[in-house]
Amino acid sequence: METPENKLIAEIEELKKEFAKTTDKLIKDVKRQDKIMVRSDKRQQKEYDELMALKIEIEETQKEVVFTMGAIGESRSKETGNHVKRVAEYTYLLAKYYGLPEKECELLKQASPMHDIGKVAIPDAVLNKPARFNEEERAIMDTHAQLGYDMLQYSKRTLLKMAATVAYEHHEKWNGTGYPQQLVGEDIHIYGRITALADVFDALGSERVYKPAWDDEKIFKMFKEERGQHFDPKLIDIFFNHLDEFLHIRDTMKDIV
Amino acid sequence: MQNLKVEATKYTPKIHLDTSGFITIVGKSYPENTFEFYTPMMQWLEDYFDGHSAKRTIVNMEIIYFNSSSSKLFFDFFDLLEENFDDNIIDINWIYDEENESAEEAGEDFIEDFESLNIKLVTK
Repeated sequence: METPENKLIAEIEELKKEFAKTTDKLIKDVKRQDKIMVRSDKRQQKEYDELMALKIEIEETQKEVVFTMGAIGESRSKETGNHVKRVAEYTYLLAKYYGLPEKECELLKQASPMHDIGKVAIPDAVLNKPARFNEEERAIMDTHAQLGYDMLQYSKRTLLKMAATVAYEHHEKWNGTGYPQQLVGEDIHIYGRITALADVFDALGSERVYKPAWDDEKIFKMFKEERGQHFDPKLIDIFFNHLDEFLHIRDTMKDIV
Repeated sequence: MQNLKVEATKYTPKIHLDTSGFITIVGKSYPENTFEFYTPMMQWLEDYFDGHSAKRTIVNMEIIYFNSSSSKLFFDFFDLLEENFDDNIIDINWIYDEENESAEEAGEDFIEDFESLNIKLVTK
């Protein structure tokens, strides 16, 4: 019979059912919570691993591209063998002792091999001339710094931007007689100053079709004379203070003759 | 009853709920407020199974990445499907890219938790 009491009881019974359903759900949720967290943690760790793998992939690709570009530049220059590899190591040492942060040193080591990339745009007739350049040819050769910069300057990548600076300024001289901008002293970017020294040191000490390798006496004498002329005096000091390390690199990375 | 369409954003999936029986959730799930984000979907589903469901309901879920609160939400979602499983024909596909191991594993976990739902793993 439908009495107010019965109706109330029916309502309470209904509430009881709802309540039981809710508590069941709560218990289920509480029990699940741990499971969800454990799984999420596991998943997130995996995603993190994937992310790191991608990051390494990107960095390695970048290194490889840059190194290959350096090798292309090298194939178009008269430098041979391990030249760019040694230059890379020298620039790292110079950057380190100059006091640049480790990360920057590592980047410069990767960017410096691209210093001659502009030579890909120099005509063969000039590039491969077996004799001395005349004035006009020399002028064409010298455009490789600007050309390298033009190729790389639009990149937004740190490494390639650095390579652009290196290509542009590695023939500048401390006293302002270099090219293409005739920058003076610290107006020349430290990357340019460092690569200039590394490049010249390696070129002088290597034998070429057109010249024998200079002996160390001669190189050191020249470096001392060019301290504050061609080269940043600070870098020359670093070079001589850590000479053994530079020579060690040269010895371990000799060209195979 | 109306269809419900929510387009994907950078952090949330595309949700298409169609009264003809197609339930599609595709994308990433990192909403700022997960429960708020999924409330319209859950409400729609309750309405749908409350006398508006099609003869056959096909659920296609392709969740690439998701956060922990989305995981909780998916449990609730599968609960709701389970509640209505006896009175409906529901096919559930957990779709994933072969290379996305974590999506595959998540699918496997849901299969284990909701055995009766008969969730199918489908590679793209």
